[in-house]
This record gives sequence, C-alpha cells and structure tokens, in this order.
Amino acid sequence: MRKKRVVVKDGLNIRERIGRGFRYIISHSVFGPITALILVSLVFIVGTGGSFLSLKNLQNILSLGSILAMTVFGSSLVILMGAIDLSPEGVIALCAVIGGLIMKNERTVVDVGFWAIPIVMMVGAGTGLINGTINTKLKVPSLITTLGMWFAALGIAVIFSGGSTNPIMDSRLQVLANGSLFGIPYITMVTICVFIVLAIIEKRTAIGKYIFAIGGNEILAKQVGINVERVKVIVFSIAGSLYGMTGFFLVARLLSANPTISRGILFPAITATVVGGTALSGGIGGVVNALIGAMTVTVLRSGMVLMNISPYVQGAVNGVVLILAVTITMDRKKISIIK
Amino acid sequence: MGKNNRRNLKSIMAKGERELTGYIRRIPAIYISLLLLFIIIVVFVSINRSFLSVYNLKTIGNLTSILLTVGLGQGLVIMTGGIDLSVGGIISLISVVYLLGLKTFGYLSFFIALIAACGAGFLNGIIYTKAKIPSFVCTLGTGGIFVSITYLLSEAPISVPPRHFHYLDVVNGSALGIENGWLIALLVTGCYFILQKYTYMGRTIYSIGSNERMSWMSGIDVRRSKVYAFILSGLGAGVSGIILASNLYSGSAIFGDLYVLESIAVVVVGGTAITGGAGGILNTVVGALIMSVFKNGMTVIGIDVYAQQTFLGVLIIIAVAITFDRSKVMVVK
Amino acid sequence: MNGLPVIDMKAINKTFPGVKALENIDFRVQENEIVGLVGENGAGKSTLMKVLIGLYREDNGEIILRGEKVIIGDPREAAQMGVGMVFQEGCLLPNLTVAENLFLCQEHIFRNKGLLSVSEMIKVAEQQLKRVELEVNPRAYVRDLTQACRQMVEIVRLLWLSSISGVENPVLILDEPTTVLVSNEIERLFSILRHLKKETSIIFISHRLEEVVELSDRVVILKDGKKIAELPRDDAQIRKIQMLMVGHELAEEYYKESEQTQPGREKVIEVEGLEIRGKFEPADFSVRSGEIVSLVGVLGSGKEEVCRCICGVLRADAGKVKINGKEIKIDSPKDAIRAGIGYIPSDRRDEGLALQMDVMSNISLIVLRDMIRAGFLQVAKERKETSFWVEHCRIKTPSLKTLCNNLSGGNQQKIVLAKWLAARVKVLILDHPTRGIDVGAKEEIYRRIRMLASEGMAIILMSDTLEEDIGLCNRMLIMKDGKITGEISCPVEDKPTPVDIISYMV
Repeated sequence: MRKKRVVVKDGLNIRERIGRGFRYIISHSVFGPITALILVSLVFIVGTGGSFLSLKNLQNILSLGSILAMTVFGSSLVILMGAIDLSPEGVIALCAVIGGLIMKNERTVVDVGFWAIPIVMMVGAGTGLINGTINTKLKVPSLITTLGMWFAALGIAVIFSGGSTNPIMDSRLQVLANGSLFGIPYITMVTICVFIVLAIIEKRTAIGKYIFAIGGNEILAKQVGINVERVKVIVFSIAGSLYGMTGFFLVARLLSANPTISRGILFPAITATVVGGTALSGGIGGVVNALIGAMTVTVLRSGMVLMNISPYVQGAVNGVVLILAVTITMDRKKISIIK
Repeated sequence: MGKNNRRNLKSIMAKGERELTGYIRRIPAIYISLLLLFIIIVVFVSINRSFLSVYNLKTIGNLTSILLTVGLGQGLVIMTGGIDLSVGGIISLISVVYLLGLKTFGYLSFFIALIAACGAGFLNGIIYTKAKIPSFVCTLGTGGIFVSITYLLSEAPISVPPRHFHYLDVVNGSALGIENGWLIALLVTGCYFILQKYTYMGRTIYSIGSNERMSWMSGIDVRRSKVYAFILSGLGAGVSGIILASNLYSGSAIFGDLYVLESIAVVVVGGTAITGGAGGILNTVVGALIMSVFKNGMTVIGIDVYAQQTFLGVLIIIAVAITFDRSKVMVVK
Repeated sequence: MNGLPVIDMKAINKTFPGVKALENIDFRVQENEIVGLVGENGAGKSTLMKVLIGLYREDNGEIILRGEKVIIGDPREAAQMGVGMVFQEGCLLPNLTVAENLFLCQEHIFRNKGLLSVSEMIKVAEQQLKRVELEVNPRAYVRDLTQACRQMVEIVRLLWLSSISGVENPVLILDEPTTVLVSNEIERLFSILRHLKKETSIIFISHRLEEVVELSDRVVILKDGKKIAELPRDDAQIRKIQMLMVGHELAEEYYKESEQTQPGREKVIEVEGLEIRGKFEPADFSVRSGEIVSLVGVLGSGKEEVCRCICGVLRADAGKVKINGKEIKIDSPKDAIRAGIGYIPSDRRDEGLALQMDVMSNISLIVLRDMIRAGFLQVAKERKETSFWVEHCRIKTPSLKTLCNNLSGGNQQKIVLAKWLAARVKVLILDHPTRGIDVGAKEEIYRRIRMLASEGMAIILMSDTLEEDIGLCNRMLIMKDGKITGEISCPVEDKPTPVDIISYMV
C-alpha cells in the first residue's frame, strides 16, 4: 500500500514542518541546544542514580568542559565564517610544549610563571596567522591548510619535547587547575571571562558582524565592501590564540608538557560545535552555542564514564550523537547540493 | 601621485602573478605532481645514495602499498566532492576482523574481511543518503562507530599465533619475486582504474565531481553513485587494513588512526582537487609515491623522526598550493 | 527645481564579447522625478543601470552627476555619490538583523569607546525605517522578513548611505521590484515611492507597463541597446509603449522560415493542469511531432518554471504530463529523460556540460548506460557514437579527448545539443538556445532547429527575443504572471508581428 504523504496547508508535509520548526528554534536561540544539554544531563542523572550530581563530579565536568570550550570557541569562529579548522590538536600540543619549557620545568631554567599564558597565546596566534595567510593568499582550502598545520605543529611540538614528557613543578599550576572559589573551578572562571570577551566581540564589534556576513554569503559580503581576507586572517589568529590557552590549561591540569596532551581533541571539538547549534556551513551559531555544545559533549563523555559504559562503546555513542545532531539541525534550504 | 604609482605597480605585479599562475594552472596537475616526486627523489638520492638500495626500495614498496590502497578509495569519494573520514576506523575494524577470522575460516578470512569492508562502506553510503548530511560529518561519526565495533570484537589488540602465520602469506609471501602485498596493491589499483574509467558508475563519479547539478539533470542517479564511491572507499581501506595486519602480525582498534589524514594527503598531493571533479586514480598513485618516498627518505637522510611530521605538513600545503585548480571554485573556503 | 539633471549619461556605449549591449545612449534623470525604464529582455535596461552604479565600466561616453563629470569605480563609490540600486535578488545578508544589514561596513559611526553601541544602532534604525513607514523590528533577522520588507530595508539603506555622505538628492534605482510582491504590497510600495519622490529621484524598471505608466513622470524605452523613445507622462499610453518596444523590421529569411514544416498529427507531449504553487498556475497545452511551440513571456512570467517542471528539475504540485498518450510520472530528470524529454539549459556552463571533462564524456553522458556490456563500457562503441554526433552537429574540436573548457562557446552549445540528440529524445525543450552566441553561429542553430523539427522532434522553445520566437515557431503560447494568456498561431504565410504579442505579455 502506498504511503500517504500528510500535506499541511502551505505545501510542506508534517516531517518537513517539524524539521523546519527544530531548525528555527536552534538557529534562532539557544533554546534547542540548552534543551539538549538538559536532556543529556537528565539521562545521566537518572542513569547514575544521582551520583552524577556530586560536587566532585560537577566540578570535574566544569573543568573539563571549560578546557574543551576554549578550543571550541576557536574552531567555532572559523566555522562561522564557512571555513574549517583541523589544526587544534597540533597547535595545542605545540603551545603546551613551549609553555612547558618556559615555566618551572625539568629541562630548562627559564621560568616566566604565568607570563607563559600570553606567550603561548601569541604562539597560537602565530599559527593561526599562518593558516589565514595560506588560505587567503595562496588560496589553499582551509581543510588542507589546517590539515597541514596540524601535522606541522604537532611535529614541531614533538621535536621541542625531545620525545620525553616534561613535568612542570610550578605548584601554583596545581592550584589553578584543581582549585575553586565558591565551588566554581578557577579554570571555569577563566573560560567565562574569555567567553565574555568573545561575546562582546561577536555582538558589539564590526568584525563580529563581518564574521557572520562572510559565513552567510561570502560573495555578497565582499560586494558590500567587507575586507574578507583580513577578517579571515584575524579569525584564524584568534582561534590559534585560544588553542594556545587551551594548551596552557591542559598543562596545568596534568602538570606535564607532553605533545600527546591534545590527542583526539578534534572529534569532541567538532561535535561540540555542531551539537551547540553552529552550522557547519557558516553564518549561524556563535560563542554561546560553542559553550553549550562543549558542556553537552563533556556531560555526555563524563556521564558515560560514570556509568561505567565501556570506553569502547563510547566511540559509537559519540558518533551516533554527532550524526543525529547534524541531521536535525542542518539547514538544507541553504545548500542545494550536500557534499 | 604616489598612491597612483603604488596602485599601478601593484596591479602590474598582480597581473604578472596571475599570468604565471595561469600558465601553471593550465598544466595538468599530474605532471606537476610527477615533477615534485622527481625532485624529491633526486634530493634524497643526492644526500644519501643508500636511498636506492634494494632493502630501502622494498620498504618504500610496503609503505606505498598501504597508503595506495586506502588512498584509492578516498580518492574516489573526494572526486565526487565528498570526503571519507571513516577510513581509519575501517582499517582498524578490518584488521581485527581479518585476524579473528583466520582461526575459523583460514584463507577464506581474506574474502570475508573484504566483504565486511564493503559493508562498512555501504553503511556510510546509506547514512549519507538517508540523513542528507555532509559527508564530513557523516563519516566522522561512522568512523567512531567502526572503532567501537572493533573494540566489541576484541578488547585487546590481537596478535597472530605462529601456527596461523602461513595464512598471512597471502600478503607476506611473494610470487615471481615480488611481494604479494605490492601485487595486491597493484591489482587494486588496476581494478579501480578500470572501474573509474570503464564502468558506468566510475564515469558518473567523475561527472558528479565535475558538475553535480548537470549530472543530475542528465539523468544520473547521483545518490547511488556516491554510495558506490563509499563502498569502494571502504573496500580500499579494508585491503589496507589486511596488508597492515599481515605486515605487523597484529590488529587493533587504534591501527587506523593516523591513516585518515594520510589518505587525504595522498589524494590531494597527487593533484586531485579537494572539491572534486579533477584528478583520478593515477593522481592518487603519484600521491602515494610522493608520500611514501618522502616519509622514507626523511628517515634515510636522518631527519629526526619527530621532525618528519612537520615536513609532511609543509609538503601537503605546498603540493596543494601548486596543483589546486582554482579556476573551478568561485570562493576558496 | 532647477533645470540641471541629477544624472546625465551621455552617449554611453558598452560592448560584451559578441554583443553590443548599449549603443550611444543618452539618459537623464531630473530631481524629484520618477523615470520608468522599459524594454524587452535584453534591451539593455539592467546593463545601463549597472554602468550607472559602477558594476560595469562604459566603453565610452560620460556620466555627469549633479553637474560634475564622474567615473564610478564600484557600487560603494556610487553609494557614496548618492546612487544606489535595489536588485531583484536582493543584497541583504539573511543571517544578519535589519539593523546590522542597514549599517554594514559603516559601523564606525556607532563606535563609542571602542565598542559598538547597539542601542544607538537600533535607535537610528528605527528613525530611518520611519522614512518609508516600515514597521519592522530592527532586531529581526532578514531571513524572517517578507520580500516586500526586505526591499524597503534596502531602500532605507541606500537613503541612509546617501545622507551620511552628505548627498542631498539621492537616486534610487529599482530593478523589477514588483515581481516578488503581491498587490497590496505593490500599493504600499508605490505610495512610499511617491512620498520619497520629494527628496529623491527614482528610476523604476519594470515589465508591467500598467505600473510604469501609473507611477512614472517620464518613460524611457530601450530596444536592442538603443534608446528609441522618451515619453512624458501624458503621452505614455500602454499601447504606444508596446509598439515602440517591439516595432522593428525583420531580416528576410533570417529564421529560415521557408524551412518551417507542418507538424504531424499525433501529440507527442500533453501537459494537463500542471501547476507549481507560487510559480505558475495550472497550465494545459500540447505539442505535436515536428511542431515548434514557443513559450513567450517576460522574466517572472513562469515560462522557465514550466519548462523546468516538465523536464524534472522542478517538482510539480499538481497536474500530469503525457508522452504519446501515456501518462508519465516525473520525479526527477531521470524520469523525464526516460520518457524522452530533453532539456537544453540556457546556462551551459553551469547546467549544460562539465567543462572539465572531454567532449566524448560529455556527449555520451546520458546514454552511457546503453554502452555497457557485461558491466564494462564499450569504448569503441562510445567513440563511434560520439564521433557520429560530433560530425552530425558539426562540432569543431581537435579531438574527442579535448576538454570542453578549451572550446568556443558556440561549440560548447553544440556539444550540449549532441548530448541530448544522442539520448534520442522525442521532445526537446530549448531554453534560450542562442543566448550569448554570435550572429553567424545563430544561423546554424536556426538551421539545426528546422532540421530537428522536420525529423519529427517536438520542440518547446524559449527565445531571447520575440522576433526569434515568432520566426521559428509554428505556434506561440504567451504567459504573464504565471498564466497562459494567449495562443497565437504563426504559419509561414501569416507571421504575427511582435506588436500583436506584446499586449499579452506586459
């Protein structure tokens, strides 16, 4: 028997309408992603019989989530423009290793203490600058540029590390990584500060608008007079500096500057971007979405650990979540050809 | 006045640059890649003659056969304009499936593993067409799923007990003096070449990559061809996994990790455009040779193992910068 | 109002490869007037305006703006000089808000201590929107606005850009603004334009003569790149304008009329009640074998959509298509092709061929399936087939393996034709077949079309000019605003003139 298509008055069937409704919610506000976050949290609160809500666990989630969010802020900005950034793993490793070498460590006598933060951020920004320049001047697609940077940066990180892990002896780092104020981890506070800065950039500066414009329609943006190349280079650089900061915090948390510190961060970063509601095609999303997405992914991962779900199954869960999230939120009107 | 002069100079230089790059652009990418390969070989040989030793060439051959087989399939997907990020997961999965199957199926495990590989590719294709999401996301997700399945099959890495070693001779043995692994890689290359040029599906892949809209308007079932490309990609990754497992006498879920990026690099370095439509099997062959020669060469001339990765990254960017066909895309994202 | 025109374009010429788009045009706009600019498709209206706002550079001639000779580099410069255009497709970024779009690239005006004052932007936006009585929340996203509102926003932006550049009497160019509006929105637009007339000058391009006549103080008529008339309001009657738009002698036998064949008896394709809501209303017509039916109408009349619906590119909401009496279901181009319907698109680069592939691959694309034996492509057969078609269509190429990108436009067009002929279609839809083709090649195409008809092909034709449609077809269907408004037969002995047709179109 032929399946009957339910037709609603303006020619869309029910399924299309629901999809449209979803996308409206998700693209317009963060209502959708917040709902997702709450739902996922509920699943795990119930699944762990409440132990999910222990202070220790919540603090852990906040810490991990904050670190991931830092990276996701960066990659989200790039994705908002319609490009992609595959380099976080390499750049974070590079900045971590360099940061390690300039703080109280086993291999050098240099100790700049917390001055390492701006320094590694500049290193990260430097890699972003290179990414942006290659992408705009040599016209190499961002997929390949950042792929190459991933390899290159990771390689340099490994060279600098000399193949050994480098324990950091600065006790202040331990406080930073594990301490908290009124129950909120210091790391989270830093991330919130960064979030505020980025949100201000996004909403209250011209360049914030330009990022969305370029992601919305690059050709039109150029026609209106936006200096697309300059914006791209700046955004890649900002992303790089955020990766740098991520590297610093990872070092603080693990108290060692190891090039493997960032291993496997790309998948959660991309998933967080998408689950948070930022469209892969660009133009829709933002730092709020990035934050929510990062938290959702962290809750998902930590929750699975807490429920003793085999780490091996987690891969599948992450994969399924990613596919579902994109399926629901993708704006198919904008792209006639899906590649 | 100065501003005018500067503007003039800039436009003259820009024009000159455009002419030069325009000239370069008109040379088929494969010749540029071959030139690159040639230069790389010459450089390495001149630094250290042992690069050409029989032993070293054998090593290069082994490396190439693995990179080639996974790159071939990836190349087909990229030619349709998509990308397959699950090849790493498939390599891991098939390496384990193959080795596990030796116990029960012996030599037949080879074919069972290949069928499993096609199945994985088919899954990619189905999700891609049903969910209507970009291949980037789809295969990123399925890659994770494949790795999970691998773990389910075997939590710990599998190693092959000596009594089963002879089964692995399918790859490790040699016929007519040539390593079987290379022969298999050559066979796959030949098959894919024929598939791409002389079968309907293969030709549609090329057409879709060149102009998907026109292909659809000409009656081509675009979705079906893309599924086909995914299946072939899975198959290629599967062969790669089998060769890898045979060479290393073991298989595990983390085997394929780094091959995702390497397969993409192999394809684009050879001159296939990441946007699709340009390139082909031969480009991938050259790309695989460039990658393996480069990697091996760096070791031979004594570059730090850790530095190699950096050079590789730079190589990829340079290769694409000179072979990328910019006339096809309006905006470079 | 002094006599000095705001815009004075003198002797403007513009040639594109193969076609003279503008020939010695003088165009003037006074302060506080609405000038209607009319002409057929391809008459040069859009081109002239694009020269005015700096998208194109005129080959020679001069533009005098408010008494001063200017060279307009790009639309930004034009906007700063007080000349702006609202395009048909719209120039707003859908994922940004109204306020953000209004002030895009001018944000520095709202900078307060380094950051943008959003409240200030909203305030100014509200002020500006009042100028066109638009009640839209400046914080709303453009993608949620109707087309009518978007147009208004664009007008506001242009007005605002002029005011901050200190220009007193800006010029607004509106390119076919009413095609996307419904009647009450059109009313509103007109009342606002009349209101704005007091502080601006407006150039209004439209194919809807009733509207042009209602709104304009003066009507300028272009044809074939030349200005042929200028009528003041009192003198501008629709009939008169229509005649001026198309009156023109035909070259003898240009369209090979003597080769026009009589159509056969059977109907090859029948369209019944075909409809796409919002694009065209239920359409009924049929084409016999050997018959050439022209589908005529201005941009937006729905003719392109009808054709794209028949060939499977657009999905119909209702109606059916029958081939040789049998109803066929068309869900995609594949179904249409299988039924024998072919479609040669107007944009051959985008939709006609794959430039990166060679001649052979392009021609054999549709029929590739038939050349398979035991799973493999029979290369010899492919070569033979494509060689045949290359010869038959007289395609000039060094070899079958030449990349299509390296061939001339005319040859590319022939390759597209060869591809569809190879597919042995029974019905061929020709979407502006001579667009962008030079005169000599056009003749070949006309000959080719005659040949196809004489061999029994049913042809649905859409041409760039009325003359071409009239000259080639046996019968003509005229569409306006989505409806078929007339059917005129064009037998060789009694070809209608464009004037007879135009009244159904505009």
